[in-house]
Amino acid sequence: MEALQLFNKNETYNGFYVMLMVNRLQMLYFFLIMPRFLIHSYMIWVIIAVGILSQLNILLLSKWFLTRFSSDGYNGFVQLFGKKLVRLLSFIGLFFILLKLFVIMLGFSEMVQIFMFPATDSNWLIFFILLSCLYVAWKGVEKTIRFVVISFFCTFWMFLFFAFFFFPPIAQLSDLYPIIPMELSGDSWKGILLILSSFSGPEFLVFLGPWFKTNNKTFRYLSYGNALTVIEYVSLYMASLFYFGSNYLSKSPFPIVTMGRYFQNPVIERIDMVMLSLELFNIVFAGSIFLLLFYGASKIANGKVDKPPSRVGFLFSVFIILIGMILVNEWIWKADEKQVILLNLQILAGSLSYLVVPIIMIVAMKIKGVNKHETPKENG
Amino acid sequence: MRLRKKMAKKFSIIFIALWLTGCAPFTENNIIEELAPVTFLSLSKGDEGKIKISTILPPLSKEKKSVMTQEVSLIKEGLMDFNLNFYQEMKSGQMRMLIINEDLGKEGIMSVINVLLNDPDISLRIYLIIVKGNFEEYLENQLDKQENLDYSFYRMLKHYEEKNQGEISIVNLHEFKNLLYTPYSDPFLPVFKIENDAISYEGTALFQNDKLVEIITTFDDRIFQLLNNGHYLSVLPIPELEVVLGHVRSKTKVDINKSLSTMTYTVNIDSRIEEYRGEKQIFDPKDLEDLKKEIQSNLEKQTQVLVKKMQELNVDPLQLGIHTLKPFSKPMDEKKWIELFKKMDIKIDYQLNIEPLTDSNAKS
Repeated sequence: MEALQLFNKNETYNGFYVMLMVNRLQMLYFFLIMPRFLIHSYMIWVIIAVGILSQLNILLLSKWFLTRFSSDGYNGFVQLFGKKLVRLLSFIGLFFILLKLFVIMLGFSEMVQIFMFPATDSNWLIFFILLSCLYVAWKGVEKTIRFVVISFFCTFWMFLFFAFFFFPPIAQLSDLYPIIPMELSGDSWKGILLILSSFSGPEFLVFLGPWFKTNNKTFRYLSYGNALTVIEYVSLYMASLFYFGSNYLSKSPFPIVTMGRYFQNPVIERIDMVMLSLELFNIVFAGSIFLLLFYGASKIANGKVDKPPSRVGFLFSVFIILIGMILVNEWIWKADEKQVILLNLQILAGSLSYLVVPIIMIVAMKIKGVNKHETPKENG
Repeated sequence: MRLRKKMAKKFSIIFIALWLTGCAPFTENNIIEELAPVTFLSLSKGDEGKIKISTILPPLSKEKKSVMTQEVSLIKEGLMDFNLNFYQEMKSGQMRMLIINEDLGKEGIMSVINVLLNDPDISLRIYLIIVKGNFEEYLENQLDKQENLDYSFYRMLKHYEEKNQGEISIVNLHEFKNLLYTPYSDPFLPVFKIENDAISYEGTALFQNDKLVEIITTFDDRIFQLLNNGHYLSVLPIPELEVVLGHVRSKTKVDINKSLSTMTYTVNIDSRIEEYRGEKQIFDPKDLEDLKKEIQSNLEKQTQVLVKKMQELNVDPLQLGIHTLKPFSKPMDEKKWIELFKKMDIKIDYQLNIEPLTDSNAKS
């Protein structure tokens, strides 16, 4: 039997792949439920503002990608932080990866259950989705990164459909009034964090550095990905304001999918089902990336980084995740009041990781006194 | 070796597929021959607060159709009872219309709307209709004569919705829900009347929140179509003046003064005279001008009465309150608006633009 080659590095991917990955990792789950938390029309400005903040993060990330630490992968981190700290950090990272994976998977399988298979136990759906993630992840990091192209082209055009809602009789300009905040409530902070958390995702690319072929154009590609996300968020949010009006928005649990149900086509009636199924490609892509990250991080945390990846080990970690997910689904996700706790936790964790990870990288580099101009990448 | 591996892969896929069908986590049986995708439900008031639900079964297959009725206290309970009575299972995915009896509408239909909204199977595009008279009886009488009764009715509604042409009020679930839940607006629905085994469009039902309070008919309804729904009418007969306006297009403009006490409602109408049986010589520009003025004042008077009625009933299907919203100011409290609306002095102003029938420069 040949050895499982999860983390092999035979080829590197250029900026185009990085762009797709930034964009798709930002369009995972939160954008589907975001409108029901944002409600007010002035949140459009907040989305744009946070998008600009995210752009700053992207700038930091692109600086990181240009250093040799990035392309060295694990060894690069060890040089920066030292072995012990890396182990500790990857242990903490496990928590962030798990939380994100859980929220995405559980949230999405709940949606699939409600709109597509109402009679099916959601645990089965989780099982099937995770099984497809496992299949993709089994092919290794290289193939998984390549999978982003499929996931991107299956999903990115969907927001264009929502232009339908920008025309009368659905759209009335008064739905967007007042366009500046007239009074701020305590919940506004939550909205900002939610948006920030939705923008999070690209920070995980830090750990995939060895597979990227980075050069001066990387920043541009990363920015394109981020800008596309801002456009998608704003257009989807505006469409939902037009469709529901801000009063009803908070009453609709899955606003974007509900809007999808309003599309009509003489051939396919339930377009929302087709869209949800295609969105699954994106979820599977993100899921498999996170499975690989989880396995990698747990290997580092266990101090077994030098050993080759084993089939049993990888399967075992996926199995643990499956069991964990089913338990969380039964105990937490199904009860709405507990689900909110998990969502809030992810909102906090997502915003935190997105803000902190790039800064830590840059600060650590500064402390080590690395200047990127002095250390051009060899294989770049 | 390789070949064997490939074979093993293929077999495992087949195995998984078989295993999936055997140990199916999908518990619903959706074999098409065993389903009855109902196209409409008709709700009316039953005894002691119950609801009478009826529909035609089987909806699709070429068997003899019959009207089924259940009296239940909950709508979904009614669907369950249909299943117990009929060999096919009811599915609501193809539901196109919900027909609500006038009496039920007067009691409020919020709960009915919420049932529909909560079921992801039911399309948000289903039409809501108010019916005056006994719809079940009409179905039973007509079913023998006209087999695809429900379908042709649906096609009629769809025809008028398509281009939003405003001949009759067509409201789907999504639109109704939005009008119901948005502040400063009240929903409205089309009303159909059953008389002598025939069903015909009667007018528009105005709702205060979810309760039917008034049905506007004939000329009032025509004006309502002009003001709100579609802003277009292919014909507008004004019997008092013995004139018919054709291809009427309207543009409305609302101005509210700063103290929010007076509203000027301007309606610009482009039209042409299609029929005239009165005394005037309408080829004479002067007479035409007179007629124009008469039509204008007639429309203003009628609209004034209609709007006054809306103010008295405290319903706002025209969404007049929305015009108080400004991009840079805090929206008014809805209760405050209702108080203002009741007292508001609403001035109606029609600007009529009728295409001359002759070249107005030519000397007669």
